[in-house]
Amino acid sequence: MGGFDFSNHSRNAALHAQGFPLPTATSTGTTIVGCLFDGGVVIAADTRATSGPIVADKNCEKLHFITPQIWCAGAGTAADTEFTTSLISSNLELHSLSTGRQPRVVTCMTMLKQHLFRYQGHIGAYLVVAGCDPTGAHLFTVHAHGSTDKLPYVTMGSGSLAAMSVFETAWKGNMTRQGAVDLCSEAIKAGIFNDLGSGSNVDVCIITPEKATLLRNHITPNEREKKMRDYRFKKGTTAVLNQKIITRADISKYVTVHELDDGTPVAAEKMDVDT
Amino acid sequence: MSLRIVPTKATPSTTTTSYGAPSAPGIHDTLRSNLSLTTGTSSTPSPVTSSHPLEARLTRWRATQDALKMEGLRRMYGIAEPIRRGMELRITGMGEWRPLALGASACVHSDILNGRDAEVGWEDVFTGGEMMDLPDFHSEMEGRMRMNW
Repeated sequence: MGGFDFSNHSRNAALHAQGFPLPTATSTGTTIVGCLFDGGVVIAADTRATSGPIVADKNCEKLHFITPQIWCAGAGTAADTEFTTSLISSNLELHSLSTGRQPRVVTCMTMLKQHLFRYQGHIGAYLVVAGCDPTGAHLFTVHAHGSTDKLPYVTMGSGSLAAMSVFETAWKGNMTRQGAVDLCSEAIKAGIFNDLGSGSNVDVCIITPEKATLLRNHITPNEREKKMRDYRFKKGTTAVLNQKIITRADISKYVTVHELDDGTPVAAEKMDVDT
Repeated sequence: MSLRIVPTKATPSTTTTSYGAPSAPGIHDTLRSNLSLTTGTSSTPSPVTSSHPLEARLTRWRATQDALKMEGLRRMYGIAEPIRRGMELRITGMGEWRPLALGASACVHSDILNGRDAEVGWEDVFTGGEMMDLPDFHSEMEGRMRMNW
């Protein structure tokens, strides 16, 4: 009861056995990065949401709040990252109330990996977890199958290769806050311009032991250009020839309902399926 | 008792070997074993189990983890400890019933005994009971008291 519903699985398997095509797998596109600096940690993300070849949202938010000092960047299935991070956020708040201590980043990472491991990668959430706690600043990545990494700079998503190339080129130890922000922004911009699944703006979140600062649309390299010409016509360009006012009326005298006889096939709606 | 952390896979991991023909080892002996080429006799077909691989894992997840915990307690303190905890759970479970018409029980006490009082999962958000209509109080009580013969 509750949770995931598998009741359609047998039906879907039977349909597939009859030659009904499976829904096509959608590849997801994102660039998310994170970088440690002296006294804190920075995470950054692009803002493009795709559904297949279509850009669904040009300015979506991929940096998720977990606790005031722990933030999370999500790649993969948008709904899964959103829900998983908010669920872990609730769990972590309950945990900190229960223990009476500030939640730690490792606790968050362990909760996430145990949660994702239970679902065997069916929850498509690829996350970069960053935060500051009494033990210092921490940066982790969590893959959908539950594996984790702990590194001084991390990238994830389809643009991770482009972003990682920037880190591998320009990263140095003991960075300053501004240096880390700039490096993360550069890495995200590499993802934006070189990866088709990533685009639009750069979001940055800087977490220090004192406070977390979310810089929404820190860099907007893809401002929409003003159109060179205005194609709208002035009001009154087309002359009004005549005018007819239609008022809403009761349609029951126009519509009648009658039973279909058994012989005729009923044209039902056909389902649109990606092939 | 095993110390399993995650539930076993629902799919069979081994198959029974069928004996080959004595004259030609390795080749299925249809006449000796069965008339059909499939394993298992045709009179008792194996039940069709077509379920998502994740389903069995999720349904047995909690039970497996609890069994692991109890097995650890048994090895450390003896059998008395898991029995005591089981009895406590049963007693609290009996005491915290609340009619469904009033929104069912929140199971606070058994959650605390289970060590799950600071936990929220998909099941708590998507309860799955939105489409069902609740039984009224009297029929629920009759069911509990086994009076609905």
